[in-house]
Amino acid sequence: MDLTLTAEQSMLVESVHAFPARRWSLTSVRALEAAGRAFDRDVWREMAQLGWLGLEAPAAAGGSAQSFVETVLVCEELGRALLPSPFVATAATAMPLLDGSAARRWLPRVVSGDAVVTLALAEPGWRGAWEQPALRLDGGRLTGRKVLVPFADDADLLLVAVAGPAIVAVERGAPGFTCTRQATFGGDPSYAVTFDGAPGELLELSGLRGDALPRMLDRGATATLAWLSGACERVLAMTIEHAKTREQFGRPIGSFQAVAHRCVDMRSDIDALRVLARRAACSIAAGRHDDVEVGSAVAYGLEAVRRILRHAHQVHGAVGFSMEHDLQLFTRRAKAAELAWGPVAWHHERVARGMGLA
Amino acid sequence: MDFTFTAEEERFRAELRAFLAAELPAWWRGMFVDDPRAMPFTRELCRKLAARGWLTMAWPREHGGAAAGPWLQAVLREEMWAHDEPRGPQYMNLNYIGPCIMRFGSDAQKARFLPPMAAGDVLWTQGFSEPGAGSDLAAVATRAERRGDGFVVTGQKVWNSYADAPADWCFLLVRTSSEGKRHEGLSLLLLDMRTPGITVRPIDSMAGPHELNEIFLDEVVVPDDCLLGRAGQGWEIVTAGLTFERVGIARYARAGRVIELLVEHVNATGLARDPHVRRQLASLRVRYEAARLLSYHAISLQAAGRVPTVEVSIARLHNTEIEQLVSDVGLEILGLTGQLTADDPAAPLAGLVHRQWVRTIPTTITAGTLEVQKNIVAERGLGLPRVR
Repeated sequence: MDLTLTAEQSMLVESVHAFPARRWSLTSVRALEAAGRAFDRDVWREMAQLGWLGLEAPAAAGGSAQSFVETVLVCEELGRALLPSPFVATAATAMPLLDGSAARRWLPRVVSGDAVVTLALAEPGWRGAWEQPALRLDGGRLTGRKVLVPFADDADLLLVAVAGPAIVAVERGAPGFTCTRQATFGGDPSYAVTFDGAPGELLELSGLRGDALPRMLDRGATATLAWLSGACERVLAMTIEHAKTREQFGRPIGSFQAVAHRCVDMRSDIDALRVLARRAACSIAAGRHDDVEVGSAVAYGLEAVRRILRHAHQVHGAVGFSMEHDLQLFTRRAKAAELAWGPVAWHHERVARGMGLA
Repeated sequence: MDFTFTAEEERFRAELRAFLAAELPAWWRGMFVDDPRAMPFTRELCRKLAARGWLTMAWPREHGGAAAGPWLQAVLREEMWAHDEPRGPQYMNLNYIGPCIMRFGSDAQKARFLPPMAAGDVLWTQGFSEPGAGSDLAAVATRAERRGDGFVVTGQKVWNSYADAPADWCFLLVRTSSEGKRHEGLSLLLLDMRTPGITVRPIDSMAGPHELNEIFLDEVVVPDDCLLGRAGQGWEIVTAGLTFERVGIARYARAGRVIELLVEHVNATGLARDPHVRRQLASLRVRYEAARLLSYHAISLQAAGRVPTVEVSIARLHNTEIEQLVSDVGLEILGLTGQLTADDPAAPLAGLVHRQWVRTIPTTITAGTLEVQKNIVAERGLGLPRVR
């Protein structure tokens, strides 16, 4: 047992941490949103040059053959910087499961930053990403709809969850593919995608068959939690700064126990969220995908993020509710991320099975 | 990053479990159950642990320990706490009174006080709190006046566990000076409980009539060689002691044990089919996992040679929360019969959850209240201004 980072992992974290300081700011987030853009392609290519997009890819595809644990450490730092990118979908979730001809075709392009891969999971009427998909692949063609697909308009390849469950690759330029932007309150731009006889290729995905989709979901949820732990860390720093500098009744509000203890509750939830997400990452990296290890991280994390953001807004007072303040950038994205991987009850039921409830 | 115990650690856990399965009598329910058999049993068990080298395995070799690594120590704490801490009062000797003597004591004090602890032969009680000094511990008013080559102590201590066991020694915080800042006038005395002038009065509590006590001190003479560290160093010693103490209790382990037994219970009774019960138990397990991993986080930092004060406080917040939550949810799941105590043959799980509930009422109060823990994190961990 050793929960500290290895020297190599610390170096990776430092290098990711240093990147936004010179390349990214919350002003850039606002500019992207104002322009209606999903992410910055130049930044994405730089991330590729730094080797982050190929962390788990084999050396033959230009990658560095690391594990999902390293991927998750990158996600933490991207969350702290609030750097919008398809990293979670492309590098953390989709790419590592590609193999065979799909891998030969797409991996080098993903690793070099030329191609973006996204996941099409939800269908109209779904409550969460964990249901059984109803969309069917018939004679190599897809007909039907997916909703709330992040980055669909910027993606080169969509991995579509279909009945089976199985995963089908559809190229964005394929005939019979259309996507329209959906109006959401925050987070990455999301699209409704319509397939009208679009050609799709059933993926083998490392021989995982029916396990491929749940494994992909585990990766997506865990990477998102790591991203959230970083984002919440930044929110806590903003909140502490506010508590130290804002004065009322003649003293900094952070000297009031009621305010200070909210900050402590945030610290305590973030620490738990991070360590649980890191253990889920280890479970996934080792191929265990243990129900308690992964399920407890997601169940804890999704609820903790709600508490953390509530405390942050309460300590900030009215100013945190204004669009001028940066807090809302985090709050809207965190809520969208929470909903993307809920509902919490699903993860509790998974833990219940994993802990031996008959 | 590695979240698994080594084969050696798992072997040790298996050995401990086999030992406890053989040694723990069916009636053993832990301390704080007002059972006259409990105290003699813990003394006997400590001597057996000592004979196997397990009692002080965490201590350095020069003091009769085995210098066991932090993870073997963690395994020992988990198994002890999961089995209702059969070391009884002596866990305090091992976790923090002994280590404080190692860190602050003279060679003569180490030679005098550590061997009986290592042999499992001595009971200590702690004399910190007073009627006027709880969370505000620096308000300690028990006076120790210099007289000849010693001190004369007069005052009152309260909430002293095991003082009427009877304890042989008391780890006593006193005021030796009223000059300067309050905490600079405090000192730590090692008090022989057989000294004339000491009156121990049991406090009848929710845990039973004999578990907590008051100690009245009336001109009690303490020789100079029983001053630990320097006069005025008491605050530093107590702070170090409380930090050892907070990491020294694997509270999550007992919560985990209660959860396991609740799972067996709902599986056996068919309650496991109730979706609400399933979600309640899953939620407990999730919180237990958080408490356990945060404890491991603090231990990892210790193992790397750091002093994780803030991390220990955060782990403690999660540990005390899960301890109490397990008892509330557990009693709800057991329903009406949950209120039956171990004395009633119909008590589910032999009254275990009920005991967990009673015992964990003070869990957010002892060794620094929940609020004090949060203040420590706010000031030292978050850099917030002094909290009031």
